[in-house]
Amino acid sequence: MNTFMQNFPILAIMSLFLGAFITSLVARHSQKAGNFISALSVTLALGFILALFKPVMLDGQIITYWLGGWEPVAGWAIGICLEVDALSLFFGLIVTVAVFVSCLYSFTYMNHDDALPNYYTLFLMLSGSVLGLVLSGDLFNVFVMIEIMTFTAVALTAFRTSYEGALEGAFKYLAVGSLGSTGVLVGIALLYSQLHTLNLAQIAALMPVTQGSSVVLAIAFGFLFIGFGTKAFLFPFHPLAADAHAVAPASISLMISGVLTKCGVYGIIRLTYILFQNANRPVVSYLVTGFGAVSMFVCVTMAFNQHNFKRLLAFHSISQVGYVITVVGLSSALGLGAGLYHAMNHTIFKGLLFLTAGAVQHQTGSLDLDRLGGLSKRMPKTTALFLIGAASISGLPPFNGFASKWMIYQATFNAGLLHHNLFYLAVCVCALLTSVLTLASFIKVTQSVFFGQLPKEYEQVEEVPLAMRLPMWILAVLCVVTGLFPSLVQTYLLTPAVSAIANIPAYVDAAMGAGYAADRSVPGGVIASLPVTNTWTPTAWLALLFSVTCAVAIVAILGSPKDRQHEYISQMGEEESAKYDSFFSGEQAVYSQVGGSDLFWGFKHNWRKYFAVMHNWHSGIVNDYTLYGVAAIAFVLLVCVTTL
Amino acid sequence: MFEKMIDKSMAKSPWIFHINAGSCNGCDIELVSVLTPRYDAERLGFRLTGTPRQADIVVVSGPVTLQSRDRLIRTLEQVPQPRVVVSLGSCPRSGNVFKGSYAIDGPLEKWTHVDVSVAGCTPKPEAIVAALAQATQILEQKRKEMRK
Amino acid sequence: MNILLYNLFYLLVFPGLLFCILMGVLLSGLDRILVARMQRRVGPPLLQNWYDFLKCMGKETIIPRHARRTVYLFAPVVGFGALITISLFLPVLNGKAAFSGNSDLVVILYLLTLVSVCGMVGASASGSPFAGVGLSREMVAMISYELPFVLVMLSVSLKTVALNPMGAPLTFSLTEIWNYQAAHGPLICHWSLIPAALAMLFVIPCEVGMHPFDVAEAETEICEGMLAEYSGKPLAVYKLTHMVKMYVMCALFYVLFLGGLSTGMAAVDVVIFVLVCALLTFLTMSLPHAVCARFKVEQVFQFYWTWVAALALVSLVLVFFGL
Repeated sequence: MNTFMQNFPILAIMSLFLGAFITSLVARHSQKAGNFISALSVTLALGFILALFKPVMLDGQIITYWLGGWEPVAGWAIGICLEVDALSLFFGLIVTVAVFVSCLYSFTYMNHDDALPNYYTLFLMLSGSVLGLVLSGDLFNVFVMIEIMTFTAVALTAFRTSYEGALEGAFKYLAVGSLGSTGVLVGIALLYSQLHTLNLAQIAALMPVTQGSSVVLAIAFGFLFIGFGTKAFLFPFHPLAADAHAVAPASISLMISGVLTKCGVYGIIRLTYILFQNANRPVVSYLVTGFGAVSMFVCVTMAFNQHNFKRLLAFHSISQVGYVITVVGLSSALGLGAGLYHAMNHTIFKGLLFLTAGAVQHQTGSLDLDRLGGLSKRMPKTTALFLIGAASISGLPPFNGFASKWMIYQATFNAGLLHHNLFYLAVCVCALLTSVLTLASFIKVTQSVFFGQLPKEYEQVEEVPLAMRLPMWILAVLCVVTGLFPSLVQTYLLTPAVSAIANIPAYVDAAMGAGYAADRSVPGGVIASLPVTNTWTPTAWLALLFSVTCAVAIVAILGSPKDRQHEYISQMGEEESAKYDSFFSGEQAVYSQVGGSDLFWGFKHNWRKYFAVMHNWHSGIVNDYTLYGVAAIAFVLLVCVTTL
Repeated sequence: MFEKMIDKSMAKSPWIFHINAGSCNGCDIELVSVLTPRYDAERLGFRLTGTPRQADIVVVSGPVTLQSRDRLIRTLEQVPQPRVVVSLGSCPRSGNVFKGSYAIDGPLEKWTHVDVSVAGCTPKPEAIVAALAQATQILEQKRKEMRK
Repeated sequence: MNILLYNLFYLLVFPGLLFCILMGVLLSGLDRILVARMQRRVGPPLLQNWYDFLKCMGKETIIPRHARRTVYLFAPVVGFGALITISLFLPVLNGKAAFSGNSDLVVILYLLTLVSVCGMVGASASGSPFAGVGLSREMVAMISYELPFVLVMLSVSLKTVALNPMGAPLTFSLTEIWNYQAAHGPLICHWSLIPAALAMLFVIPCEVGMHPFDVAEAETEICEGMLAEYSGKPLAVYKLTHMVKMYVMCALFYVLFLGGLSTGMAAVDVVIFVLVCALLTFLTMSLPHAVCARFKVEQVFQFYWTWVAALALVSLVLVFFGL
């Protein structure tokens, strides 16, 4: 193995952590120098991870690094290990790209705030911990990284303490989030008591021998599952995300939704497919898919009631993560591929949406959907970016959301067919329906923020500077590229990652030395590799859609030049005439009292009982939320103990 | 050729927008009866629209009260060219029995050019259909002029 | 070169642009005449909607002050393009579509959504308060019909896949559905799918936005709703989209439930297809239009999520148990 490459994972993590400490030292004297250090460290991290792309993704190697050179002795791994297989690298790529974009965006976005050295220090620590989590090959290290991640995220959520609810949101996150951390810790302790090791690879190797005989392991699984579920803000924990997102800076919202939730997803995949290898057991499959599907549906309906731009996005974020978890639970190669694809896409488009929300907030100072309006006149470029993001998350065809959602439908449908199971079919219907509801919800945002009438107070709003638009454009381009070439994404990212999960012995051997897995007769893996034929090929008819659109555009819109000139002149000359006012039965525009303030009335009216229950349920009291969390833990443990 | 087709269809598909400028509702009922099965103006392509933006023919009934005057003018302005204004009944022409009232600011001609005028209190549906048919011819004419 | 020419032909002439417009104009004209006859009226000429379209092309286009110009003008065109693209996926003749893949149905589902979305975004960009109300209603209508539509789609896929010995991969392919029907008879003859077919008949008028379900464009209540500010050429494109959508939905029903029939002569097949479309127009659009008054928006939602969805669900469950 290439020994030089072996250092890259630790270098990537260290560059972020070192950057955090140097920034805090330097930035007190010069903010510019601090910014430079931050930019340098995230770029370095991105570079190191990208350099690993070829050996891990293309050549299928697994790169291990033992801290202090403490390699396993006599088949027991005592030292701390970083183990980068394609799955880890897949999430590592997501993390570093998101961190890079978020950092770039922060430079301008945060320029109104003070205490910036603290911000960048915390930001880099958060980034480093997340990267450490996905690259780690040691379960206790995973827990340490989760703790760093949670506490920095809490601090960053409350960073703008002047915001109403900032401390409250952070406190809820802290209180209920620590339930999850505790779950992970207890799970680790139980696991250690049974298997006497913390190395992921060794656990995976020893698990098949001992599992089934031990209730303790079942309990450990339950604790770990709910712990990682908390980090992904799954169903009973979703109110936390909403409260945190609403008050956090937009760059941190990007991190929480795009990166932190992915850690939960990564944890659940690692847990069910590699550590416990029980993803194909019906109970686990129902558990994971059920939690995912409920989060997916409940959160999208909750989004209907929101009046805060970022709170609404937060609920959608959990809803999309719900999609990912749902298909991860199917324990099929297609499902896992779809889940990974959607996880990646979710980071891209949700990041883009949060950044546009941040841009709106930066320029107008408000996130209130009821007060904003008509911003497309003043911020046309942000509007265009938002529309790309909204189309992606709603799964409209040329964008990436469609490509991954299509795989999700296919995967759930196939699961229903293969297992002859109505539950999976119901999940498929639920997924399709959620997609429509997402779309409807984003039309509401479009209408109430970017179109409609421009309030007087926002008439002087300006477009965001290029430095903020650039990170958004990066994400927007990624939205289009990953949507247009799903086969490339599949070949270079999904297939290696799924193959890595399908091949547990390779993962074990890479850490524990060749032959270790064979000696303990480790099974091959719970799923097969991803079949290549299942991609969606958009290029043929995409060209068509484009050509039709162009042709009709030329004929219909441009028309004869004379007409166009006529329009132009009349618009210029009679600017003040009533001709160009909105029609409101002859009244002047200022008297128009009709409005689509509650755009979903017809829907909500029929579901009023459901919404009343939901309203009571999301009380905003941290005690309640903790109670739901405890109830969820109890439920999962009960299921695990009785059936596993 | 396309332009000529448009000219021809201009007369075949006139969409009506109806403005009530303080009418007693008599003329309005008669206008609706024009569209009912008995007189069936739809066979000539007439259709009642809900917004002035899509209208070709604006039918105004009522003696232009002070309250409705500004709204009337504003709405008339919002109709795209070419457009034809038809006054319905005696009120918009002369003020009828309301003439001289302090609340009336008519007749309609004071505010806009009226292309076709139907007399009567209330006018017969046959007369309205005839007037509308005449209005379509004016519409086609206007379109041709606009093109030049 | 040849392929390019074929593609252009597909795009512009046969399943594409020209044929769509022709069918759209004919079917919508037929619908208006049928409604008129049911109301004992004479009704407009068959080409009335075509005249309407031409007239709108010749009118002045007013762009309101509050409107976002680009979106306002281009939204209808993109919607129309998406609709024409759908027609290329429909194997209306001998089971051959201009384009087919393993995801046809999902693509069609999303493209139909895209058409509605373009309408809504355009309405939103026009800045009119009436359009705001209209788009909110359209949104609820969209949520309403989408559930039964999805259920119908799944039950059809499930039926055609269930007996397919090759197993799963080609689940949502229309060509597969056509081939299945060619082998086993049209799906409407399978009793387990009759409820789904009925549900689909109900979905068609709401998807098109025809009278009893045209809550979004209620001209008497909210001044044409979404189209309140549209005039001139973009309005013409919207009207055309509306017409073509009637045809596309009828064709979709034909492909899903009456496909697989072929006499061997293309001309006869086309005539049969046109007749079936006309019949569907009568059943799903003219008849409810003439008989029913407009629903309220919450009634539409209730109707689709209870009765129509239940019909589709019955089919799905029946098919699932192999009936």
